[in-house]
Amino acid sequence: MKNKLTPYLLVSPYIIHFILFVAFPVTFSIVLTFHKWNIISPMEYTGLTNYIRLFSDATFWKSLGNTLVFLVIHIPLQIIVALLIAEILNQNLKFRGFFRAAFFLPVVVSGVVVTILWQQLYGFDVGLLNRLLVKIGLSKIGWLTDPDIAMPSIAIMATWKNVGLYVILFLVGLQTVPSHFYEAADLEGATRWQKFFKITIPMINPTIFMVVILSTIGGFSLFIEPYVMTGGGPLNSTISAVLYIYKQGFFYYHMGYASTLGIFFAGIILLVVVIQKKFVERD
Amino acid sequence: MKKAIFYIVLVIAALLFIYPFIWMIAASIAPENEIGTLTLLPSGFSLDSYFQMFDKIPIGRAFVNSMIVASSITLGVLVLGSMVGYALSKLEFKGRDLIFYIIIFTMTLPFQITLIPQYLLIVKLGWVDSYMGLIMPYLMNALGIIMFRQYFKTIPQDLIDAARLDGCGELKIIFRILWPNSIPALVTIGIITFMASWNEVLWPLIVIRDEALMTMPQLVTLFAVGGRADSQLGVKLAAAVMLALPIIIAYLFFQKYFIQSMASSGIKE
Amino acid sequence: MKKLYSKNISFVILVLAMTFLFGCQDSDNGKENEFIYWSSNNSNEIDYARQIVKKWNDSHADYFVKHQPVPEGQSSEEVILASVVGGTTPDIYSNMWEGDVEAYAQAGVLIPLDTLAGFMEFLYARCDSSAIEEVRSQNGHIYQIPWKINPIMLIYNKNHLAAINLDSPPRTYSEFMEAGKRFKKDLDGDGYIDQWFGYSEVLVTWWQRFFDFYPLYLAASGGAPLIKDNKANFNNKYAVEVFRFLRELYRNNYFPRERLSARQDPFLSGVIAIRFTGPWEIAHAEQYKPEGFEYDFTSMPVPDSSDSIPYTYCDPKNTVIFNTCKNPQAAWEFLKYSMTEENDLLFLEVTNQLPRRSDLLENVNFDSYFERNPMMRTFAKQAKHVRGTDQTPVLKEVFDLISQEYEACVIYDRKSPEQAIEDAAKAVNLLFLD
Repeated sequence: MKNKLTPYLLVSPYIIHFILFVAFPVTFSIVLTFHKWNIISPMEYTGLTNYIRLFSDATFWKSLGNTLVFLVIHIPLQIIVALLIAEILNQNLKFRGFFRAAFFLPVVVSGVVVTILWQQLYGFDVGLLNRLLVKIGLSKIGWLTDPDIAMPSIAIMATWKNVGLYVILFLVGLQTVPSHFYEAADLEGATRWQKFFKITIPMINPTIFMVVILSTIGGFSLFIEPYVMTGGGPLNSTISAVLYIYKQGFFYYHMGYASTLGIFFAGIILLVVVIQKKFVERD
Repeated sequence: MKKAIFYIVLVIAALLFIYPFIWMIAASIAPENEIGTLTLLPSGFSLDSYFQMFDKIPIGRAFVNSMIVASSITLGVLVLGSMVGYALSKLEFKGRDLIFYIIIFTMTLPFQITLIPQYLLIVKLGWVDSYMGLIMPYLMNALGIIMFRQYFKTIPQDLIDAARLDGCGELKIIFRILWPNSIPALVTIGIITFMASWNEVLWPLIVIRDEALMTMPQLVTLFAVGGRADSQLGVKLAAAVMLALPIIIAYLFFQKYFIQSMASSGIKE
Repeated sequence: MKKLYSKNISFVILVLAMTFLFGCQDSDNGKENEFIYWSSNNSNEIDYARQIVKKWNDSHADYFVKHQPVPEGQSSEEVILASVVGGTTPDIYSNMWEGDVEAYAQAGVLIPLDTLAGFMEFLYARCDSSAIEEVRSQNGHIYQIPWKINPIMLIYNKNHLAAINLDSPPRTYSEFMEAGKRFKKDLDGDGYIDQWFGYSEVLVTWWQRFFDFYPLYLAASGGAPLIKDNKANFNNKYAVEVFRFLRELYRNNYFPRERLSARQDPFLSGVIAIRFTGPWEIAHAEQYKPEGFEYDFTSMPVPDSSDSIPYTYCDPKNTVIFNTCKNPQAAWEFLKYSMTEENDLLFLEVTNQLPRRSDLLENVNFDSYFERNPMMRTFAKQAKHVRGTDQTPVLKEVFDLISQEYEACVIYDRKSPEQAIEDAAKAVNLLFLD
């Protein structure tokens, strides 16, 4: 009575979509890596030239390094801040809903808005942050003009934007910790910090790993923040891998080379995520 | 005492998160020459920046474009995603596991790998500067399918069997029987998808060149980066406010759902 | 019931398949005696194009021109590229940046205009020989008509210069330094300079160098090319001098390293006294300047040893005919018509941009315009000493490489000018290897 074709009809939109927007592009991308192509002229086979160029392309390695700098600052900062806020919110306080909503606000707003906003906060001469610093007698900081500070500045901004989401995730995690654990610890006279490190942290370890993986994936796709704020400068210190691929592809129309960068970078991402997942599974 | 400290910390932190938005709104309605030195309250109130912005860029049109694109994508992801999710969770057929693994695999695939060739595909299909170019690649969403599959698994098979006995077709089962019983999943997937496509910038920047078809975040990005704002800061901030406002308003009304949805998308992944 | 629903499924798939099929654009470019003409989408130029097209259509019954502003987009260059890729190019496009032409010419999508009857005669009558050589493609053909220019010059705030006791704007590098020293100030007393002599965009984006390094290099070198015979030609003392001059400006805080463009207009708000810009600044200044604000233009600064009139970059936009055009000779007749004396004057009046013709100041027909627009006369004088771009398909890459070194040396002082220019030249030469 049941039509045998029905399940296939139901999944067919997915199959079509997969072939068109995943399988074909991935295959084509691999083909492109062996070619030079600016879209308007015919494709030109160049063998391994693109790969050779990639390995000697200082800007690309710089962009990978920048992405790493971003992750190294962004992830720990995110976890510490989110955990701290979540821990406080988890106490029995009034207006919890309000605070939770406030921290979550930047999460829903477009990254473009956040970036335009922080560009004003980060201004060297008249930016709000520097005016504040001068007022309390400190010296100004070149938030976006100092090559050593620009990427950390962007990482701080990204943390501000995303931390609300991780506060919620940690809150969920914290609520799964059985309260009798704490009661037992209280009987043994444990301090608040001891309880935090001996009970809370191990219990919410899965959440921490999840946050690490999510922010890693997010960090690898860093684009709009440097695109709007710094254009990748100063001295290429904020050019992210995606921004560099975008520039190669859509500024200079080096489609073959941009594909090569894309494939290589995607390989790195897969590798990192797989390693991280292995860690999680081992625990 | 301890609680007082907590409150102080929370209030300061909350201010850090809200103040910039308030400043942005205040600056956008301040006279242009005051913005630079403005901390909070402008001396006068002026909508000049907004009028100028409306004059320079078709932001209303961009809003409509964004609505069309985000709604179409959301609808597509809900309808098509639930079809696939249903087949994968409630029907037996050859190749089912294969498809499931393909979906899982595509979830791990970074978008950076398909960015360039997908653009070239759009070019070949003639979809540069069209809604198609913006919508089609996002009409399917692996996460959405997986979430539907998980959710439908929790729905008792009896319900479906009973419907079949009544002569319901598969589509009717999905949309008449499963959907009313899956409101939380629909809301969650709907909100995540809508938010993600509403805020997407990179893809529109790549496939849309015609200003009349630009989405709101794209238009505002180009306005902020390019020279069209004539170096008038107030105008840029006004554009940013316009971009933020729809989502903030929606968020204020459906705050609970937003937070739950986003959190559960994180947990499931 | 069940059947109905499986029918619905096939319908869904059908719709999906249809949408894929009908996504394609049709590339029909119209009839043989009808032309599609794209102009720039700047409102003055749209206005001009409408007038000229109406005049033509009223007086020429045999060929009909249909005008359309280039679709507004991220940049007109990108829109043109998309149309080339999609096969939807217009017959005529009048706003092609000179530096883009060579790539399109090599891709074979442009008509070599020198093969059309009457073209070379017209060109020799309109332009001086250096302009003609400038637009000649590497293969010897000419694919573009030099159409309009907007020379980059030095704009200065008269009141600011008067305040530091300068009667005339600085001409040489030393005068520039002296003026910078006198002008920079810490107005709010927080220990940081907040009034600088000038500003130039610090972003490393390749075309930003059209507003600082490139015109200064042309000024110093008397209009020398960057690229010659597929080799870097800029590794010379002029480029080094320009880098050193600019580096001193940043070192001494006469120019800020911060992106002032993310703030309000620094020139009109008085935060700076000069910048390098084109005639479009006039309309902008007239619209937004505060009361009592006075400004004027002068040539780019030059090394102390130089005493000739400085060259500059002129941001040339030219006219091309795409190979989708069915009757290029007739399209050319329309273009020739649009560049008669009378119609060039119309262009000047409506757009306040300079037609690229050599007799702007000598031809009495233009007198009354320059009488009414004295600042434009300054630009017209400068127009005798301008350069466009070198004809090479890798121009963007060349400027990008120079810009990278510019940032390292000029703005961040990480390299000596000599080293930076040498490194840029080496990298540029690598571009031509394959």
